[in-house]
Amino acid sequence: MGQRDTRMKNAILAVVAAGLAALTPLSVAAQDAAAPAAPVAAEAPAATTAAPADPVAPAAPEASAYTPMKPTPGKGMPTSYEDDPVKSLHFQDQYSANGEYALWMHDVILLPVITAISLLVLALLLYVVVRFNRKANPVASKTTHNTMIEVVWTILPVIILVVIAVPSITLLARQYETPPANAVTIKATGYQWYWGYTYPDHGEIEVISNMLDEAAAAKSGEPHQLAVDNRMVVPAGVPLRIQTTASDVIHAFAVPSLWFKMDAVPGRLNEKLLTIKEPGVYYGQCSELCGARHGYMPIVVEALPPAEFAAWVKAQGGTMPGEAEAAPAAAPAAEPAANTAG
Amino acid sequence: MATTAEGFDAHHDHAHGHDHADHKPGFFARWFMSTNHKDIGTMYLIFAIIAGIVGGAISGIMRVELQEPGIQYLQWWAQFMGGGNDLNTALHMWNVFITAHGLIMVFFMVMPAMIGGFGNWFVPLMIGAPDMAFPRMNNVSFWLTVAGFFSLLFSLFVPGGTGPGAGTGWTVYAPLSTTGSVGPAVDFAIFSLHLAGAGSILGATNFITTIFNMRAPGMTLHKMPLFVWSVLVTAFLLLLALPVLAAAITMLLTDRNFGTTFFNPAGGGDPVLYQHLFWFFGHPEVYIMILPGFGMISQIIATFSKKPVFGYLGMAYAMVAIGVVGFIVWAHHMYTVGLDVNTKMYFTAATMVIAVPTGVKIFSWIATMWGGSLSFKSPMVWSMGFIFLFTVGGVTGVVLANGGIDDNLHDTYYVVAHFHYVLSMGAVFSMFAGFYYWFPKMSGRMHSELLSHIHFWTFFVGVNVIFFPQHFLGMQGMPRRYPDYAEAYHFWHQISSYGYYIMAGSMLFFFVNILYSLLAGKKAEANPWGEGATTLEWTLPSPPPYHQFETLPVITDAHDYHDHRPATA
Amino acid sequence: MASAAPLPADANRSNLRVGALAFLGALAMLGLGYASVPLYRLFCQVTGFGGTTMIASESKAAAAAAAATGQKISIRFDATTAMGMPWTFHPSQATDTVTIGERDIATYVARNNSEHTITGVATFNVTPEQAGKYFNKVQCFCFTEQTLAPGQEVTMPVLYFVDPAMLNDPNMKGVEQITLSYTFHRSETPADAAPKSTN
Repeated sequence: MGQRDTRMKNAILAVVAAGLAALTPLSVAAQDAAAPAAPVAAEAPAATTAAPADPVAPAAPEASAYTPMKPTPGKGMPTSYEDDPVKSLHFQDQYSANGEYALWMHDVILLPVITAISLLVLALLLYVVVRFNRKANPVASKTTHNTMIEVVWTILPVIILVVIAVPSITLLARQYETPPANAVTIKATGYQWYWGYTYPDHGEIEVISNMLDEAAAAKSGEPHQLAVDNRMVVPAGVPLRIQTTASDVIHAFAVPSLWFKMDAVPGRLNEKLLTIKEPGVYYGQCSELCGARHGYMPIVVEALPPAEFAAWVKAQGGTMPGEAEAAPAAAPAAEPAANTAG
Repeated sequence: MATTAEGFDAHHDHAHGHDHADHKPGFFARWFMSTNHKDIGTMYLIFAIIAGIVGGAISGIMRVELQEPGIQYLQWWAQFMGGGNDLNTALHMWNVFITAHGLIMVFFMVMPAMIGGFGNWFVPLMIGAPDMAFPRMNNVSFWLTVAGFFSLLFSLFVPGGTGPGAGTGWTVYAPLSTTGSVGPAVDFAIFSLHLAGAGSILGATNFITTIFNMRAPGMTLHKMPLFVWSVLVTAFLLLLALPVLAAAITMLLTDRNFGTTFFNPAGGGDPVLYQHLFWFFGHPEVYIMILPGFGMISQIIATFSKKPVFGYLGMAYAMVAIGVVGFIVWAHHMYTVGLDVNTKMYFTAATMVIAVPTGVKIFSWIATMWGGSLSFKSPMVWSMGFIFLFTVGGVTGVVLANGGIDDNLHDTYYVVAHFHYVLSMGAVFSMFAGFYYWFPKMSGRMHSELLSHIHFWTFFVGVNVIFFPQHFLGMQGMPRRYPDYAEAYHFWHQISSYGYYIMAGSMLFFFVNILYSLLAGKKAEANPWGEGATTLEWTLPSPPPYHQFETLPVITDAHDYHDHRPATA
Repeated sequence: MASAAPLPADANRSNLRVGALAFLGALAMLGLGYASVPLYRLFCQVTGFGGTTMIASESKAAAAAAAATGQKISIRFDATTAMGMPWTFHPSQATDTVTIGERDIATYVARNNSEHTITGVATFNVTPEQAGKYFNKVQCFCFTEQTLAPGQEVTMPVLYFVDPAMLNDPNMKGVEQITLSYTFHRSETPADAAPKSTN
């Protein structure tokens, strides 16, 4: 099992690599654009959106060490028809390994199969219309059975489904790989109607994330309905343990460009591994009906190079694991104040 | 067939004019205390059309709102319904609309039309029975459904959270529907499901009894027309699935009002259990909505191909298989709720299995046409439209069946597109096919073939323009149940809304057609469709007498679907 | 009422029998719907479905300790408070490394920030879900309701162990850390029900 698995993975990865070759210029460009953004961060003005956590850290070092990353157009967000008609018909580009595999499975297996089946049915319908209409075929045959063909059209779909099932099960197995013990843990809590992100291993940082209104979104150069005031900042390239729960009703934490969606259910914790391939800003939206403002609680994941993530943690008054875990008790006291939002 | 018809007519001579078979009670007794399956069927159909207009109008409100990003008209609607002028009330109205649209279309349009309407009208006729087994219970079923509809309408005008109406989605997930919605609206919405559900359970009991017990002599199960088979399977699904919904929503009611905690974690309950119960009902429910359609399509394709259905037994048992497997795939609606890997793999595999019997049906329909002598009357074009569009909806179902793929598509517009392809095009196309097929029989008047063909083509274009772009929106990440969206989604939303206008305009042809045919339509013969129409209802005059089959017809081998063509056709 | 010609009496009886059978079937499904609540709970408790933890007796704990091989696993402790619950609630430490099979203790701290006496009840699960079957609690504050006076702070223990049987389960392969999560809800007793709020 294990061996076959690896072989299959390798084979599949090769195809993924080939399949994605077409898409890579874009993502490489995105990476180039994103990388220099961080060093310049210090010079950007104000925008100290890290408000909720700030009061926790009176002695925080340089509070302005972090400026929200500028999003790259077309990366981690939907593409409009006007910008790119072809991309607007399809999935967002993927920035996680599982996302790339899932996208490959959709594009190389599912989409061709379902298109072929639909076209086959259409072609057969058109054929009978032309060939067996009343004029072309005035006398109907009386055939009501053909065991051979009945067996064929039962077996053939079974074979197609098995062909689909193999990568499907592989994909599931990958999606359920468990995070390593040292994965960076972020807990996303759904509230009516905003998200709270806590970093239990980083000195109890809590980020309260509300949607930006239209003017504010325009000012920060981000898409309205997707932009938020405080983002969920994570390191890129390292495993993340994303945990979700909710305070009131069921919400769902979803980021399409990371192929990630997990319900946040009150009274229980869900967990999933996520590794974001490269730095960037990835937009998502709540995906389980949660009341009036269901459409107004977007999710923004900002993936930073690990060193910059560490700087962000410092700026929030947190500590990286392994550093002296000083004053951890101070953080929770600030929560009630932060919770009044929304 | 012809032999039987003649034999039957010999027993029941219409030349004597108004014999007591046509004796009808007075207006009130006939329509309010009706025990006649045809009258009840007619009432169900009229009711379904009215509910369809309401549900369709609500979807119009939604498409108009979604045509542009931002909130355009919801505030106006909130005030119109008696709510406040703030944004939260406006956004709540959105949730009320999606909820009402879903519940109305499922419980008060598709189900009453398919099972209550066509089922009541044609199951007794097709099996050679004088009426349903429990005619008075049949009447109770209908009025329970009507009462349920009024309860749902009433819920729109009472408080239900941040505004009037129940904004929980048709799934009524806890805890949004319990602690998350204050006010009586959700209670009335739930009660409406109780009433409609009770009506359907009684109806299902009635159909099962009728089909098992009241078939005419010689009408064995394996000679029954496929439409009767489809209603039989549907009735079993109703009987087994609806009580589970009833239990689940009753628990919601007590959680809301009497302090129980079935689904409230604060008292040891589990909101996920509600989802399991709901979808244990909800998945069979989608087959309840489509199986009678399968049955109708089988009758119609055979009629207009002048050929018996290909692979009759395979067709019948494919429906049974779909019904059985439909009970063990429910958690594919819950892929993101936090299932462990083995559960998700099982539901992925089980769900894909359903594609096999469904494929058998699609190919059997095509094989029925193969070698036939096809005439493209209105029921036939709707049926062929059904086959293609249902296939498109079916294959996107195969995509969604993959738990790993669903991690992206779950609760996006891709799902909306998928289930509207199988319902708004599958179920609805089959209903229009059935309607045009049986309208002459039911009304005694011929409809206009021209208008029904225009209706078909405009409707076909309209619904495809509405729903095909929704696949794109879903893949791009647009979540469902959103009144507002990022600018990037604008283009395809706009196209989708244009599609709605085409579809709505197309419905004019339908209504004009009904009016025209009722007022000025040509009188329909007993069998307007020719030699391909072999089932028993075509042996009766159009419309059939108030009481039919007082002397039971005798079904000979001529009805054997294994080779059911009479020797002398 | 105007109905079709009366059926023969035996046909009517037969109809009633079939109808009654069908109706009984519906009733049975209704019963099953209600029975699903305890059955689902039982199913979760037995199989660990959905990350439900096990309750272990002293003897089972002793047996697990005897089977311990010395292998370690990391445990994470998570705490959430539900809406309308004015407590702060957090684990004393975020993670701990324990020996599989050996009993360990973790503590959580809860403080009532309101001016009323409040009774809370905790729900719990573990992630990844397949670990539920192997995560045993010997003692837990979640077994009973907790009542805190205004301003009162308590430290609450959980006595638990991880069953060494997990080492033989292919589903547990690669699991390096188990998260034990608690959510404190305000108890739904009528006298003490949380004020309903639309927010």
